[in-house]
Amino acid sequence: MSKQGGKGAAGKGKKPAKAGGDDKREDALQAVIIADYFQDRFRPFTLDKPRCLLPLVNIPVIEYTLEFLASNGVQEVFIYCGTHSEDIEQYIHESTRWSPNSAISPFSSLEFIRVSDATSVGDFLRDLDKRSLISGDFILVHGDLVANIQLDGILAKHRARREANRDACMTVVLRSVGEEPHRAAKARGITPVFVIDDTDGRCLQYDEIHPLMKDRRLLLDPSAFKHGSFELRSDLIDCGIDICTPDVLALWSESFDYELPRKNFLHGVLKDWELNGKLIYTEIFEDGYAARASNLQMYDCISKDILERWVLPFAPDSNLMHDQSYQKVKNNSFVESGVLVERGSKVLQSAIGKDTSIKAGSVISGSVVGRKCQVGKNVKIKDSYIFDDSTIEDGAVITHSILAGGVKIGANAQIPEGSLISYNVEIDRDVRLSTKPPARISAKTDNGQPVENDASLVGPGGKGAVYSVTADDSDSDSDDEGDGDPAQLQNNLIYSLEGLNISTLSVSTLASEDDYDSDEDDEHAGYLHAGDGQRERLSSFTSDDASKPDAFHGDAVNGLVDALRGDDNADFDSAKLEFMGLRLANNASDSSMRRAIAVAFTKRAAEMLTPEHGGLEPAKAAERVLKDKNGAVKFIKDVGVGGDDVKQQTEFALALQKGLVSVRGLEPSRAGTLLAALLQQLYTLDVLEEDGILAWWTDRRAAEGDTMTTVKERCKVLVDWLEEADEEDSDEDEDDEDSD
Amino acid sequence: MPPSQANYAPSLDKLIKSLKSQPYEASIEALIFLLKRRQVKGDDCAVATAHILLQVVARSKWHDVDQLLGRVQSVGSRLARAAPHEPVIGNIVRRVLGLIRDEATEDRNNADDLGSDSASDIQSLAPTNPPPQRPAPTPVLMRSNTAAPGGLQVSKSMFNILSAATAADTPMTGASTPLSQAQPASVHALRTEVINGIEEIMDEIQQADDQIASFADIQIHPGEYVLAYQPTKTVERFLIKAATRRRFTVFIASIDPIEPGSGEKPYAALRKKLNSHGVTTINLASNGLMAYIPRVNKVIFGAKVIYQNGGLLVDSGACIAAQAAREFLKPVIVLGAIYKFCPEDPSDEAVISELGNPSSFVSYADGPEVEALDIENTVTDYIPPSLVEVYITNLGPQTRHHLASILADHYKVEDIGYSLHDGEV
Repeated sequence: MSKQGGKGAAGKGKKPAKAGGDDKREDALQAVIIADYFQDRFRPFTLDKPRCLLPLVNIPVIEYTLEFLASNGVQEVFIYCGTHSEDIEQYIHESTRWSPNSAISPFSSLEFIRVSDATSVGDFLRDLDKRSLISGDFILVHGDLVANIQLDGILAKHRARREANRDACMTVVLRSVGEEPHRAAKARGITPVFVIDDTDGRCLQYDEIHPLMKDRRLLLDPSAFKHGSFELRSDLIDCGIDICTPDVLALWSESFDYELPRKNFLHGVLKDWELNGKLIYTEIFEDGYAARASNLQMYDCISKDILERWVLPFAPDSNLMHDQSYQKVKNNSFVESGVLVERGSKVLQSAIGKDTSIKAGSVISGSVVGRKCQVGKNVKIKDSYIFDDSTIEDGAVITHSILAGGVKIGANAQIPEGSLISYNVEIDRDVRLSTKPPARISAKTDNGQPVENDASLVGPGGKGAVYSVTADDSDSDSDDEGDGDPAQLQNNLIYSLEGLNISTLSVSTLASEDDYDSDEDDEHAGYLHAGDGQRERLSSFTSDDASKPDAFHGDAVNGLVDALRGDDNADFDSAKLEFMGLRLANNASDSSMRRAIAVAFTKRAAEMLTPEHGGLEPAKAAERVLKDKNGAVKFIKDVGVGGDDVKQQTEFALALQKGLVSVRGLEPSRAGTLLAALLQQLYTLDVLEEDGILAWWTDRRAAEGDTMTTVKERCKVLVDWLEEADEEDSDEDEDDEDSD
Repeated sequence: MPPSQANYAPSLDKLIKSLKSQPYEASIEALIFLLKRRQVKGDDCAVATAHILLQVVARSKWHDVDQLLGRVQSVGSRLARAAPHEPVIGNIVRRVLGLIRDEATEDRNNADDLGSDSASDIQSLAPTNPPPQRPAPTPVLMRSNTAAPGGLQVSKSMFNILSAATAADTPMTGASTPLSQAQPASVHALRTEVINGIEEIMDEIQQADDQIASFADIQIHPGEYVLAYQPTKTVERFLIKAATRRRFTVFIASIDPIEPGSGEKPYAALRKKLNSHGVTTINLASNGLMAYIPRVNKVIFGAKVIYQNGGLLVDSGACIAAQAAREFLKPVIVLGAIYKFCPEDPSDEAVISELGNPSSFVSYADGPEVEALDIENTVTDYIPPSLVEVYITNLGPQTRHHLASILADHYKVEDIGYSLHDGEV
């Protein structure tokens, strides 16, 4: 607990006109800022600075939040900090405007509250309940909120509802972003779905869907139908502004396991409506702007919105901070004083901070460049964010990346789309960073230690190494937006979705994740007119689903291959058990299971062909892989194929074929031979029947692309043989029928 | 159920109410952010600036005129920088500076028993001679100034352009010895005088619209067709006043598309009032305006600010109307109170004009448009002086050629040169 606002009598409140008399009525508007998110989405940048102090168009994000509260006449502010809390406190105390000791602070008090053992937002709010600091309605926001809306009307409505019904305890402020695919809608990652009573705005149910969910459907609570008419909205941006009564805190305290304000709390309270009887309302506004810089894509999106003046009065030339001096110049750019733009260089739709110099021939477009940066000659910077004190030498090309402060980019280096380069990293001259996956370079490890320089990545004279995103348990558990499934794997993927791919890239990644259940995809789009449904469907047709890994797939395949490799002749049952567990945890669909199994077996079989593993002949390899382990065949039959249906068998055969095609270093002809051997083995083992194999043979999908066809052709012998057998069979059948 | 009201958002009214109860620094800061957030804009800026400067004069500690001038200049430039799109703030600051200079001169003259020969009325039309002991940045200049009025005055103001920032930064240089001798009693008297003067300015701002409206029946004749482009409060009052005396027809052009379902037609209140006086009103969408220009007898605008060359800032879209009127040789009448006359030439930024939020044209929810288009929503338009026929001020109708004398009457040359935008940071 840090300093109380020590402003004394003179500075008490901006509107003390109301102070006397009506103590009964809570007249000072209170707000709580949650300034820690228990996330690692902004790593590696957040190793150095807390997220709410990262500059967004050259202003720390928390300035926007505080200004939003000030513009709504909030009087008392409580800030909950977690990691880097000292930094945030120091920042506020040093700020001339917000420091509680400053006479000009618009807030009558501003307090920091530290909770030593908090692991989630829920812990903060339960702590707040214990402290009984809140006297009336309060506004709960996050420290990364950027908004220009006026809450007066919404507060009035909230109050009216509360006076009418004591149980109306919370109003969730939402913004409609329309149904068309939109950068903000795409960037939010998770699509919140609100079931709203359209007569009074009461929220009936809350759920989240996101692209990684295997089964993107929503179970509608039947009680919703009792309300007459209601709307299902998935076109909303949840800007994290909640107007709460103290009852909300009590609710948090009652349920000790709630961690996330939306995923857990809102969902839970609405679900248990009959138990707690609390009503939650929504307020959807169309005009005005509000969004949270909750991930890198939103960061990107909000920065652009600010430059394009959607967020007025938050525009660079409003000079929100005292020491700023932005002026609008031509080409929709904003330039601070002391900026030197040499003749022959261009600045388009960008903001350039104080004392930055840009040499001749450089083009900066759609970007934000911090203060005291040095940009050399003929540099191209596009759609990028460069923090203070960076140096970019002649001829470098930077596209759609984030370069934190103090970064040095050598001459002619190429920083491609999606790169994240953290504080004080140095990239040597002529280095080209890879795009797949986009580079994520830090000069520090998670523990804050300097990393060993990776010369292959940053060049001989560079500084920094790849920062790999490890699923830090305590962090990702309580990921704010609640990345759906308990499985952390998905957290990681969401992370990579949101983190690695800033906007444009994300479309394709989204789509490729989707392909997994592209069959469900269509269903989903029909089911809910999700904002981005259409786009995803389009791209899901275009991309091939063969080689894209996902969480379940990767783990399942590895597990199975390990089991198949095992020297001990152990039973296959444990592997099977593990596989089924994984499947349940991920809610994997049948098709993805089938695929995982097929890939695992083909991988192992292909491995056996290589000299290191014995260099077996394809036929032998196929036999070994299937028969070495007890129960493997049964496993394939029960789980992999999953039934006697011809269709399922076809799918499995197809999966095997695709699996073989995707095995690296296996030439198609050999793969074909192996496929034929595998199919034959499976046929003799009664896993696949001739109908299934023949259906596969005629299936159009099996002949897509050159490799597929090559692999397929090798099986012709087998198919011919089967067809003969089939004819005999059918003869026999006829005979049978005759004999009946 | 009691009517529940949530009125938390800061506003000018609240600020004015709380002026006395909080340190004036906090008030300044509050106003700066009201300006930055555009929670105070347009004519309110003038009132707000006057209120804040009143606080500065009344409550800040100053011992001599130089100090006071420096204080007002620095506060003024902070306000002006907070809202570079509102030149009215600068006008008020200059008016107050001029007021202080006048009062100081008068004061000193009294103290020195020289008699008061300079006008105390700030609206006095007679240009005041530069008083001998006017505070000047350097003694050298002061001497030259004492020697020759008139022509040299200009050179002094030009000098001030260069030295303004220094003067503001170091208001207490030893240069101003004559003033530091001022008696505490005279400081007190000066304070009272200046406060009274600022209150007069506030009254002037308040009454300006009524005074302008009193010229309405001279300008509008029976049976005329008048086009009002996005009528401001001043124009509204002007039209209503005219309606009490005359029968005419008003075209109200507005840029806001009348959205289906939004119900409220723009300017419904104005129309109702005009109709009650028997004046016909017709609403036009601004894009259909050209068709009506031939029928119109005159076009009326409310100016946001009028520059010394006669050009003015108006709501966006008005320039097209003015040009159309020019094509058809229809007179354009501009309504603008004296305090809106700005003793500067329009800067490049002003001509480029302020940009607003694009959401008035494209909804943010409309994804493809948001991504594909660069939307520039200009909030203000600059109308060049050649398009304007007559300016109606609260002191009466003026033509472009007389603007210079109005400016000379209301601003001190020293202050005209003082650039409000380049003060200390």
